[in-house]
Amino acid sequence: MEAVMAPAGTVHRSPSRLQFLKPSPNFVNSTFKFKPQQLYTFRNRCRTPLLPSLTSINCKLKSSGEIKKQNASKKIELWNSAPPLSEEESNAGSGKKEPAKAGSGNSAVLRSVKKLSRKVLTLLSNLPLAIGEMFVIAALMAVGTVIDQGETPEYYFQMYPEDSPAFGFFTWRWVLALGFDHMFSSPVFLATLALLGASLMACTYTTQIPLVKVARRWKFLDSAEAVRKQDFSETLPRGSVQDLGVILMGSGYEVFLKGPCLYAFKGLVGRYTPIGVHLAMLLIMAGATLSATGSFRGSVTVPQGLNFVVGDVLGPSGFLSFPTEAFSTEVHVNKFSMDYYESGEVSQFHTDLSLLNLDGKEVMRKTISVNDPLRYGGFTIYQTDWSISALQVVKDGEGPFNLPMAPLKVNGDKKLYGTILPVGSIDAPNVKGISMLARDLQSIVLYDQEGKFVGVRRPNSKLPIEIDGMKIMIEDAIGSSGLELKTDPGVPVVYTGFGALMLTTCISILSHAQIWAFQDGTSLVIGGKSNRAKGEFEGQINRLLDQVPELVESSPSSSSVAMQSNNTMAAASFTDPGARPS
Amino acid sequence: MIFSTLEHILIHISFSVVSLGITIHLITLLVDEFVELYDSSEKGMITSFFCITGLLVTRWIYSGHLPLSNFYESLIFLSWILSIIHMVPYLKKQNYLSPITAPSTFFTQGFATSGLLTNMHQSGILVPALQSQWLMMHVSMMVLGYAALLCGSLLSVALIVITFRKVIRIIDNDKRANLNSFSIGGTPYITKKRNVLRNTSFSFLYSRNYYKVQLIQQLDHWGFRIIGIGFLFLTIGILSGAVWANEAWGSYWNWDPKETWAFITWTIFAIYFHIRVNKNGEGLNSAIIASIGFFLIWICYFGVNLLGIGLHSYGSFTLTSN
Repeated sequence: MEAVMAPAGTVHRSPSRLQFLKPSPNFVNSTFKFKPQQLYTFRNRCRTPLLPSLTSINCKLKSSGEIKKQNASKKIELWNSAPPLSEEESNAGSGKKEPAKAGSGNSAVLRSVKKLSRKVLTLLSNLPLAIGEMFVIAALMAVGTVIDQGETPEYYFQMYPEDSPAFGFFTWRWVLALGFDHMFSSPVFLATLALLGASLMACTYTTQIPLVKVARRWKFLDSAEAVRKQDFSETLPRGSVQDLGVILMGSGYEVFLKGPCLYAFKGLVGRYTPIGVHLAMLLIMAGATLSATGSFRGSVTVPQGLNFVVGDVLGPSGFLSFPTEAFSTEVHVNKFSMDYYESGEVSQFHTDLSLLNLDGKEVMRKTISVNDPLRYGGFTIYQTDWSISALQVVKDGEGPFNLPMAPLKVNGDKKLYGTILPVGSIDAPNVKGISMLARDLQSIVLYDQEGKFVGVRRPNSKLPIEIDGMKIMIEDAIGSSGLELKTDPGVPVVYTGFGALMLTTCISILSHAQIWAFQDGTSLVIGGKSNRAKGEFEGQINRLLDQVPELVESSPSSSSVAMQSNNTMAAASFTDPGARPS
Repeated sequence: MIFSTLEHILIHISFSVVSLGITIHLITLLVDEFVELYDSSEKGMITSFFCITGLLVTRWIYSGHLPLSNFYESLIFLSWILSIIHMVPYLKKQNYLSPITAPSTFFTQGFATSGLLTNMHQSGILVPALQSQWLMMHVSMMVLGYAALLCGSLLSVALIVITFRKVIRIIDNDKRANLNSFSIGGTPYITKKRNVLRNTSFSFLYSRNYYKVQLIQQLDHWGFRIIGIGFLFLTIGILSGAVWANEAWGSYWNWDPKETWAFITWTIFAIYFHIRVNKNGEGLNSAIIASIGFFLIWICYFGVNLLGIGLHSYGSFTLTSN
């Protein structure tokens, strides 16, 4: 039974889509269309199969030993008549007809809405448009790194003055009007991103999903010419299509045989991965949107021994930010300490934190460090910075005095703090005192009233030092911890998107190969194509074809199958489709 | 002390060996082909690979952390990866990539050991933010991705050069009216030649030069495959960097210059793949996009470090001449 029909769902697409589908011309003109029952039921169950179920497609990478064992259990499926067409397509066909049948005014509006949405979908799923959007996004990002972000308007007046504009026209007016000073949250950038997201969704819906349906249909080619038209083709003068089928099965292909026609494929997963990649990207974009609109963040510098309430520190970031119960937790910094290398540089800083709930009970205690944050109740506390808050000194037995330290120079992890212990009356002009400088919590450098260097003391050594007749003892250097707090509801979504993207990009390296064969009298015409590994595909097929036994009619009584290697015949060149002499 | 002398020895051996190999390639290109020398240049690349491996292992043992913490070390790692990429097709007996990977290894090593970066040669300590397991995964994946994408984009540049050389030749040879077809005899090994540049000296009048078309197709195919692998590694690198940033700094994407440029590179190669969807996009159009990618990778890897700002400032340096 033959049914000449273009596959449903592609009839009234725009010409650009048909052109897009050109790489596989056969299916537009295909005359055979079959679906085994198991594929049909599988398709009914799930609409967007990301990974095919193991029942219907078993084309995983197997070792040759496994393949030989499985050979006995698998069978080549033979069909004598066409299986029924899927009801899904008849549903789709009738679904489209239904709005046309109803004649009321409501359905006319519905029809025009449907037409408009279809037009919009077609417009959005245009591939050159998507490529253009990606270019625009890349260009905007590049501009965003060149122009300094987040500065005051005066800075831009200076950098891009109107009297000597860059490129002849680019002044600060452009920068501020287009929002380039906060490029990555500016309307231009976000609008382009949203457009790309819409294109992704449209493209997945209109192009990729039907491709999946098409890829899972296996279509026979019914003539030798059609088979020869493939990317790679070869003719074996004396071969049998059943032998070829057995050999292909042995090397991991799914083989379907009907009469003189054969169709085999391998690596169907390779056709699904574009959908997977695009869906993962959409997931990431959704998660990022959620993060941008629904998170809280804030940072605080807390001296050792003090505490703060989480809710006071966090500020919302967007309209979806809702505070939770846990925001009333109080955080107490028990201790802040730093580790040092032998060379004296900072190796790590640690903060010992206790979380207390509203009743004052400690609910959690953890020492955090830079790559090791604290997670509780939906918010996370990160250790990002540190500073020195005060020095505790004892002067002549009096004290201890807490001298606050001020930053003199801060350059990443290299900081310099200083303080002064005034001598004499504070209100007098030219107050003199003993200066103390510290680079970290390890050691304090002391200078006398003239500014001359006196000595170095470690805070916990309890060694006094004589300066200008006074006995100074450094009791302790109190550090303060720079903490950053965040809640981010979008993180699980984004992480899922990341994982999906990594996985699908890995899988997309696998190639999807298809082989057709047609028994033309005694000769066997073979054609094939592969979407990734074209170079190696040819070599693989040649090696497989080498194993196809040559049918030699030695005597009329027995058709002996001589297992001759067809080396000379099967050394096909890439573009030479002709039959080779034996 | 012994470690640093060992490092010195190893790096100088590998540098000299690779430069010898390049010299042999150049002699083959410009003068004549000596088959024995060709084999020795391949062996030289293998020697250099072992030397760099030794260097990396030495640095690892000496400093206690994976040798990827500053720009110098990542350059050495890059040349190591490039030498691996050079060796893999050689072991599979397909020598298409060697004229690209061997000089790339040479140049990256040369730059790394040059006088411009001497203040980074000592193995340093890791700042607190870099003390994490993610360092290994993120940086190594990124450098792997850069290496493969560099190879792929250089292959595309080669493709463009070959395609346009035929145009130049046609303009040159327009004066000749005779339309003799070239002799095929004696040149069936052209496509097996590992020296792409030499092949163009045989370029002919016609645009339908079968071997040239085949060479372009093979360059295109190899470029596609290796850019595919590089894209995969770049994706994994960017995503693992984002997860690490979330652990360390609290947010997975900060629009840091280096992050942004890595994303721009990723976008350009995504455009490359999408252009190849249509059959007429394959070949020249996609090669142009991939060549743009070459410059973007260098901006991302090297140019951003020159600026020295942002969260990735560990890789930053100043070019001092010694």
